[in-house]
Amino acid sequence: MDLENRKRELVKEFSPLLLKTSKTSKIWMIGLTAIILVGVYAFFVQFFKGHIVTGMRDNVVWGVYIINFIFFVCLSYSGAFIGGILHFFNTPWKNSVTRIVEIITVLSLIIGPIFILLCIGRLDRLHYLFMYPRIQSPITWDIIAIMTDLIGCFIYLFLTFIPDFAILRDNSEGMSKWRQKTYKFLAINYQDTESQRESLHKLTKTMSTLIIALAIVAYSVLAWIFSLTLQPGWNSSIFAPYFIIAGLYSGAAVIIIAMYLIRKYFKLDHYIRKVHFIGTGVVLLIMSMLYGYFTFSEYFSRWFSHKTHDNNLLDTLFTRYFWEFVLANYIGILVPLAILFFKKLRNIKTITLAAVIAVLGLWLNRYLIVVPTLETPYLPIQDTREEFIHYSATWVEWSLSFAGIAAFILFFMLLMKLVPIIPMSGIIDHEREQKGKPKRRKK
Amino acid sequence: MITNLFKFSIIAILIGLFTNSNCIAQDNEAKNFKMLYKFYTTKQADNSRLLEVSFIAKHKKDRKNKVPVYEAEINFYNTSEEEDILLGTVKTDKEGFARLTLPENQIYITDVDGYINIKAEFNKTDAIKSYKKSIAVKDLILELNLEELDSIKTATLKAYTLDSLKTEIPITETEVVFSVGGMINNMPIENGTIEDGTYEFEFPTDIPGDVNNNLDILVTIEDHDDFGTVIQQKNVNWGNFKEQIKDDSNTLWSEAAPIWMYVILTILLLGVWIKYIYVIINLFSIRKDGKELA
Repeated sequence: MDLENRKRELVKEFSPLLLKTSKTSKIWMIGLTAIILVGVYAFFVQFFKGHIVTGMRDNVVWGVYIINFIFFVCLSYSGAFIGGILHFFNTPWKNSVTRIVEIITVLSLIIGPIFILLCIGRLDRLHYLFMYPRIQSPITWDIIAIMTDLIGCFIYLFLTFIPDFAILRDNSEGMSKWRQKTYKFLAINYQDTESQRESLHKLTKTMSTLIIALAIVAYSVLAWIFSLTLQPGWNSSIFAPYFIIAGLYSGAAVIIIAMYLIRKYFKLDHYIRKVHFIGTGVVLLIMSMLYGYFTFSEYFSRWFSHKTHDNNLLDTLFTRYFWEFVLANYIGILVPLAILFFKKLRNIKTITLAAVIAVLGLWLNRYLIVVPTLETPYLPIQDTREEFIHYSATWVEWSLSFAGIAAFILFFMLLMKLVPIIPMSGIIDHEREQKGKPKRRKK
Repeated sequence: MITNLFKFSIIAILIGLFTNSNCIAQDNEAKNFKMLYKFYTTKQADNSRLLEVSFIAKHKKDRKNKVPVYEAEINFYNTSEEEDILLGTVKTDKEGFARLTLPENQIYITDVDGYINIKAEFNKTDAIKSYKKSIAVKDLILELNLEELDSIKTATLKAYTLDSLKTEIPITETEVVFSVGGMINNMPIENGTIEDGTYEFEFPTDIPGDVNNNLDILVTIEDHDDFGTVIQQKNVNWGNFKEQIKDDSNTLWSEAAPIWMYVILTILLLGVWIKYIYVIINLFSIRKDGKELA
């Protein structure tokens, strides 16, 4: 009976988040929809006029689309990885972070691959990839990995949602009919019995292990798209672990930003506390150190090898892309590291600032991995126009990029309307554990 | 003390990181370099004439340290006793080369012996002194004739110069190389010496051409004292294209992938998907249990 009351209390506490939309949220939603609509218009412009409306040409065949793709997919893999770790090791403060992580994982894995579709010049031939796949190609591996991972993440996310759907189903009096029906359908008759709970816990743990392994495989495959290609700056043996670390770096940073925004706009200070920021901040610190080490190691070995084309690439990075290089690899690593390293500097705002710098730096780092390399190929196209050699993104590409980010935030907000961002079942489990502890002592 | 040490270390690291490695790796003082200024001319297959200057700075101590002189303005002149006629001005590129192509119908002033005198001049700047090089070449005409004589594919070269009355003067004792054009480099097939203005040889029958059996045949007189470099080229349907017999199944580049790739991919995918199916079946059983309880 106590338990049922507690569940009702929690639904009551979180229902304003689900049922009411504040003025600020509405403004956000309208703004985000407007950005998405501009993106849709840009998409039609590109669809009817072709890739000529983008900055991509013969030399630089990949631009900001592929950078967004890598960024979002890495974010997703890192989300899966971090989520899996939190569940697997049953981290004490996981409850406030875990749902944010899981939503980030699935949404970014839905939005990321859309960018790869925008990269394809002949979308009408897309089905050839499935009809005539080349098993030897890392691109085929990536398609398989992304699809497998997406389904895995969906299952995993659904498993973690089931107890909350059940709580909402049982306490949905006064809610709209479609909500009641949706919760009933999604709760799959879960009654929170001992055996059901145990079975679900076992499945979640199994899936969390699988998700960690899948994230590592999928990450590596994504890195191999580049590193198995004989291009200056890409053909590197450490690219796979480098991508994993970079992904975890961006993942931890995006989780911090999301926590900050959710805490601020949905007044969840009680659940998302400083300790969560400190914990994720320490993860970000460790990742920044590892990421900095990998970045240094990558560029240092290229510089030391003295290979002509690698030297040309480094020359380009230190001249044409000097400031981008500084922002991505010095500011983007050293500033978060400096903020997070000193205990005195660690507070919610500075940790969030470090996370924002890390995300921007990492996006730029991706840009520097893709574009300068394509601008310095082994066999350059000679005597051609400037725009064929050097890349600069057009308004179409920027519109679609911002539309992707807007869609990510909008879907996040909409999902928060379906289930509470703090898992109610997690709170109940935590309280159940707390109750159980003194009992054991009495024995 | 420790704080200061820490502060200075951070500053030193930052200075180190913000410094472009290339700006300290090279010694940029021009006086420490020896200039290699070379001038060549090539009469090309379309009878245009290429004038080419290579301008490279070589470090006096570190001989491996060679830097192309970039954006140096080179003036090309057709010189005579009376005057120097400017043919064109070209700046050196990133590799230190300045190239000027003069069309087939370019009119040159020649000296009494029939030589075209050409000068390539670099005027001095604040950092580098002036350089000039001159060459004198005769206008050599190469006529390449490719025909089948008694079913034998025969290449015949006629090489001559013209005097002031347009009379053909055959050249003698000149080394010549015949080659077949390729994607990356040309393949030499015959070399010899031109006597009495002609050279003839039997063309080999086992050279593969493109898919239509076409071949580019080039004849080159390389860096001759009197003529410079002269090239002539013709396309002929004398190739012998054969489909390569490939026996490369189950490789990275064949249609079928290596066996281990199929095995590993199948194991991985099956492993993951069986797990998914297991989870879904268990979800159905949770649903069934719940239905009974409800």
